[in-house]
Order: sequence, then C-alpha cells, then structure tokens
Amino acid sequence: MGVTSVLARWASTSVRVLVVEVPGSDESRMLLEAELGRRGWSVALSPADADLLAVCGIPGDELRAACDLVWNQLPGPRTRVSVTTAAALPALLDGAVAHLVDDSRQREDARARSQPVAAEDPTPDAGEHEGMSHEDMDHEDMDHGDMDHGAMDMPMPGGIPLAGGGDDRDGLEMDMLNVPLGPVLPHWPAGLVVDCVLQGDVIVSAKARILQAASAPTEASEQAMTDVVDARRRIIRLCDQASQLLALAGWQAAEQNARRLRDDSLRGADLTDHGAALDRLRRRVERSTLLRWSLKGLKLTGSATRDDGADLSIRHRLIGWLREAAELAGTIPGGGPIAAHDANRAQEAQEAQDALDALPDLLRGTDLGTARLLIAGLGLDTAALRETHEHSHD
Amino acid sequence: MTEPIVQVSPAWAVLAPLALLLFALAGAGLNGALVARSAGRPVRSGAGAPFAQVARLLRQRRQVTVAADVLLWRIGAGGLLVVAILKILVIPLGPWTLADLDVGVVWFNTMDVMIWALFWLIGWGANSAHALVGGYRFLSLAVSYELPLMFALITPAVAARSLRVGDVVAAQHDLWFVIWMPVAFVIFCGSVIAFSSWGPFATGAGRDIAGGFLADVSGVDRLLILTGRYAVLAAGAAFAVPLFLGGGAGPLLPDWLWTIVKTALVLAAFVAIRHRVPTIRPDRFAEVAWIIVLPAALLQVLVVAIIAVGS
Repeated sequence: MGVTSVLARWASTSVRVLVVEVPGSDESRMLLEAELGRRGWSVALSPADADLLAVCGIPGDELRAACDLVWNQLPGPRTRVSVTTAAALPALLDGAVAHLVDDSRQREDARARSQPVAAEDPTPDAGEHEGMSHEDMDHEDMDHGDMDHGAMDMPMPGGIPLAGGGDDRDGLEMDMLNVPLGPVLPHWPAGLVVDCVLQGDVIVSAKARILQAASAPTEASEQAMTDVVDARRRIIRLCDQASQLLALAGWQAAEQNARRLRDDSLRGADLTDHGAALDRLRRRVERSTLLRWSLKGLKLTGSATRDDGADLSIRHRLIGWLREAAELAGTIPGGGPIAAHDANRAQEAQEAQDALDALPDLLRGTDLGTARLLIAGLGLDTAALRETHEHSHD
Repeated sequence: MTEPIVQVSPAWAVLAPLALLLFALAGAGLNGALVARSAGRPVRSGAGAPFAQVARLLRQRRQVTVAADVLLWRIGAGGLLVVAILKILVIPLGPWTLADLDVGVVWFNTMDVMIWALFWLIGWGANSAHALVGGYRFLSLAVSYELPLMFALITPAVAARSLRVGDVVAAQHDLWFVIWMPVAFVIFCGSVIAFSSWGPFATGAGRDIAGGFLADVSGVDRLLILTGRYAVLAAGAAFAVPLFLGGGAGPLLPDWLWTIVKTALVLAAFVAIRHRVPTIRPDRFAEVAWIIVLPAALLQVLVVAIIAVGS
C-alpha cells in the first residue's frame, strides 16, 4: 500500500486538466487556468494526457454529448468537475484531487468502464456522435468517412470504413479523411466545431458550426457593468487572445507573459503599470525575427477582417491586440470614460458572424498548423454569436 | 589531454543507462524549473515536477485507440530510450569508453537516423489524425536537418582524419574544434534539438495539433517517450563534447568530470532554448535548411578539409 499511496501523493502535485469551455464562459475558464497556474498544474493537450476534465459553464445537449465522449477517452485515474462559479474553485479542485488519489474509487471506476469497452460493438452508430469527439480517431469520430464509396464491401478495420480518394491540390489522388476539429481542443474558440475533409494535413473543405451553451442566459450582471469595467474586460479578452495565438505559435515564454497580464487584470489588480508591461510584451513580439519569419504569409483575407477587403497579417493582428490592450490600460487610471463597448455589442456579434462565415473559405487549402493560427487570429467571440442567434430567433 | 582513450570492460555498460537517465532527469528538472519561473511559481517546485510526472504516468492506465497498430506503437515508444543508450556507447567519459569503434561517428549518425522511424511509428501507431500529422511533421523536419547534420558530424572527422571518436578527441589537443569549425558546431546543436523534437523544432508534438504524436499516448508509453526525448537530447549534448569541445580536456578537474560538466552545460543550453524562441514551422524550415544551412555545412567541410590537407 505504501508505494501506491506515495505515488498517488506525488502525482497529485501535478494534475493535468483538460479544459472544455462552453461559449460565454470564458471568464470561468480563465479563472480556472489562473488557479491551475498557482497550483503548478497544467493544461492537457488531449484526453489521453488528462487526469481531470473541467467543463467551464453549462453545455447544451450537443456539447454535453461531446464532453461525455471525451470523458470516455481519459485513461484514468480520472475525475471531472463542472466550473460555474469562481468562488468555489479552490474547494472544487481540492475535491478533485481527493477523488484522484482515492485508489479504491478509481479502481471501481476502472472496473465499471472496462465492461462496455470489452463488449465493443464492431459497427458503432457513428452518426449519433458524429463530429463531437475530440480529434483522436476513435471510431466515433472517424464517422462515415466516404461511405458513398461502396464501403460495405471493403474491409473495415476496427469498424472504421476506409477513406475514399480524391484529387489533391497537385492533382494526385489522395485519401480524404473526415476529421472534425473541436469542440474540445486546446487554444480553440469555445464551442466551435470545424468539420474538415483532410488530405494529409491539408484541409480540402471545411464547415464551421457552434455548439451552444444550455439556454439559460445569466447576462443580467453584465448589462450593469460600467464603462471602466468594460474596458478591463476588453483588456482581458485581448490578452487572452494574444496568449492563445502565442501558444499556437509555440512561444511559451511570451504566451505565459500574456497570460500573466491577463490574470492580473482578471484579479482586478491595479492597471497603472499594466500599460507599460503590455507595451514591453508588444515590443518583444515585434522584435522577434523568428516569429516574424514563422508567421510570414499568414493573412486573414476577405470578409474575415474588419477593414473591408484589406488583408491583415496574423502578426500585425497580434501586435494590434497588444497595442490596443496597452492603450486601454493606459487610459483607465485617468478615470476618463472609455467609449462604451455596450453600444458595440451588436456590432461585435456581427463581426463574429462574419468571421464564422468566412472560415470555410479561409481554411480551404491550408494545412492544419496554418489553419489553427488563422482561427486564433480571427479572435472569434463565440459568445457574441450566441446573442445574435437569440435575437434572430426572437 | 594526457592519456589515450581506452576501452573498458563491457560490465561497465550497466552504468551507462543510469548516467543517461540522471542526465535526462536533470534536463527535465531544469525544464520544470524554467517553466515554474516564467509562470511565477517557486523554482524548487518546478524542479521537482519530473518526479510528480513520473508518479502520475506510472499510475495512469494505457489508453488504446480503436484499430491502433499496437506493436509498432510500442516499438516507437520504447525505442527512443534504446537509441539514446546505444548512442552514448561510443562517447568517451574522460579516458574511458565502452566501445572504441573505428566508425564511432558513423555509429552516432546511424542511431539518429533510427529516430526518424521511431517518431513516425509513434504517430502511426495511434491510428489518429493528429498523431499521424505529428509523425509526418517530424519526417519533414528530418528531411531538412539530416543532411546538414551528417556534414556537421563529418567535419571534425575530416580534421582528425579518423571516424574514431577517440582520435577526434586527441586531434583537439591544441585547439578545440568548436573554435575553428563554429558553423558545424551550431548546425550539430540545432540538429540535436531537432532530432529530439524539442523546443523550436517540437512541431511534431505541437500544441496546434493537440500534442501531435503524443496526442494519444498515455501511461507508461508516454513516460517512455518523454524520458526518451530527454535521453536523446542528453546523448546529443554528450556527443558534442568529444566532437567539438575537446572531450575531457580542462584544468584542475579530472577528465571524466570535465566530460560530465561540459555535457551538463550543453544540455542546459539545449533545454533553456525552448523557453526563449517560438517554434519554427517545418515547411518554412525546409527552405532555409536546403538553401542556407546545407551550403554552409558544405563550405565548413571544405574549409576544414583544405586546412587539414595543408597542415
């Protein structure tokens, strides 16, 4: 018993957490990430790497089904929490650790789940889960590949129909694979699913959709916020977007820098020095020749940009975010009123909708890495989208 | 550079993996400490992170994906550590070496070519899109770094007129090779970081593809792969010492200790670079590797060959 309990205790100091963000719950996600940082835990990149599944917000039916599917892919010992309020966060995570180190309960969990897996159905009802799972190609997300291909006569290893062929961009025939990206991916807009057809790692075609939160709008408190708070929210959001983009660009130090600035604003820290710190980060990003070279040629085109028609490079977008955040932070201590963001809410929603509509064209012909950077560069606010949907449904 | 390199009894070989694992652990600890520092946490807790990670992965069950190629997957996962151990066999520790091969430099090169297969197999085995993309990203990176690496490895051998690692060390009696073949040294270091899929070259395990070839590995397999990555990084750092940094040469300390100190310093530099720079996209890198790095490596060999023939 001694060894296992020692192992469990050591393991519990570095829990890896798979974070699922429900649209509109970005604040819970950020608070969770900040708390993870304080504990020295880290965010998992995939279910196989995770001990804890943390769902931020209350997901709608589709998103909940996706979470359940991902939950099945956690190797275990595993536990899951639902993060809805900031107040109980430390206690919630403490409870999760207690559950993780509890060997008898984990053994029970393993026994319970080993039964259905053993009796695995070789012909899964893929349609039911289609497009909801995480990226790894379980039979569920391999979905119906190209069934029009007379797949019934073909060998189906593990119940997966073989991929069909198609001409690639060089005119060679290459397998086409249907892979849904999202909704559970690190550094990915909340609730977004992009159903891609891949040839190699090149996206042939893509369709974007949003898995919504449960329809229980609790936006009342938001409406009452003052201009200054609104500006702070904007800073937080800009820092968050910048850190996501930097993470995808693989620049860990700068990412953490942006993240720390975000968490400071989130905590309500004094923003006097913030403008200077953000400015330093911006200069650092601007100066990096490696980043410039690495992001070279990545542009948001067409209707994806705010400035109509003009292409906008991802790098300039990133620098623009940091500059805007620095300027906003600089104005707050002065106490002057910021141009109210509330008035722009409808506009924000329109921008988000435009960005979403532009996604398929933007992604066609790009490789996965480029696509991820472009999507991060869009700064898609899926929560704003939800508001337009609600308005349009009214 | 007092005594010639001697081959010791194979019985000492049991110590080699142990030393390598200690280096791997030290590398992981340094990485953890650097992560903790940039996140504003106490450095000490970060340095202990590898132990927590090992405990965690030992407790974790293996998750197998549907229709996974389990055999090849496991070969890939376990192979990295094996390759790293085979690599260090030819590296002299001060005056002693386990295998004084007359083609020691080629031996090292052979082992790093095996890494091509291993990372690709890890990506292939999982039967999942992101993992496979990760595996192929590594291959495209390998196509870029391998030829420059070969020429960087051959440069000291040309100067020493021998492929035996002991001879290369002896040839640096007067002047370390790093001084007059800096280009080869830099290319060698870059390639070591690349074949360890580390830092700016870690695109195969990138965040944008959910961990790439690591996306679906869990439990002991993941532990083996992560340890293996640090081990090949450490083996590469150790090989820089006899090749470019004069082997065990140095004042005051005994030769074997100098070898260890130099290895540790090179390894620390390799680990630290991860925190300083963004990743380099493999498609971008191919261009630079073939148009700038490869000619630079050839030029370096040419210059060294002319000097070696002239002297």
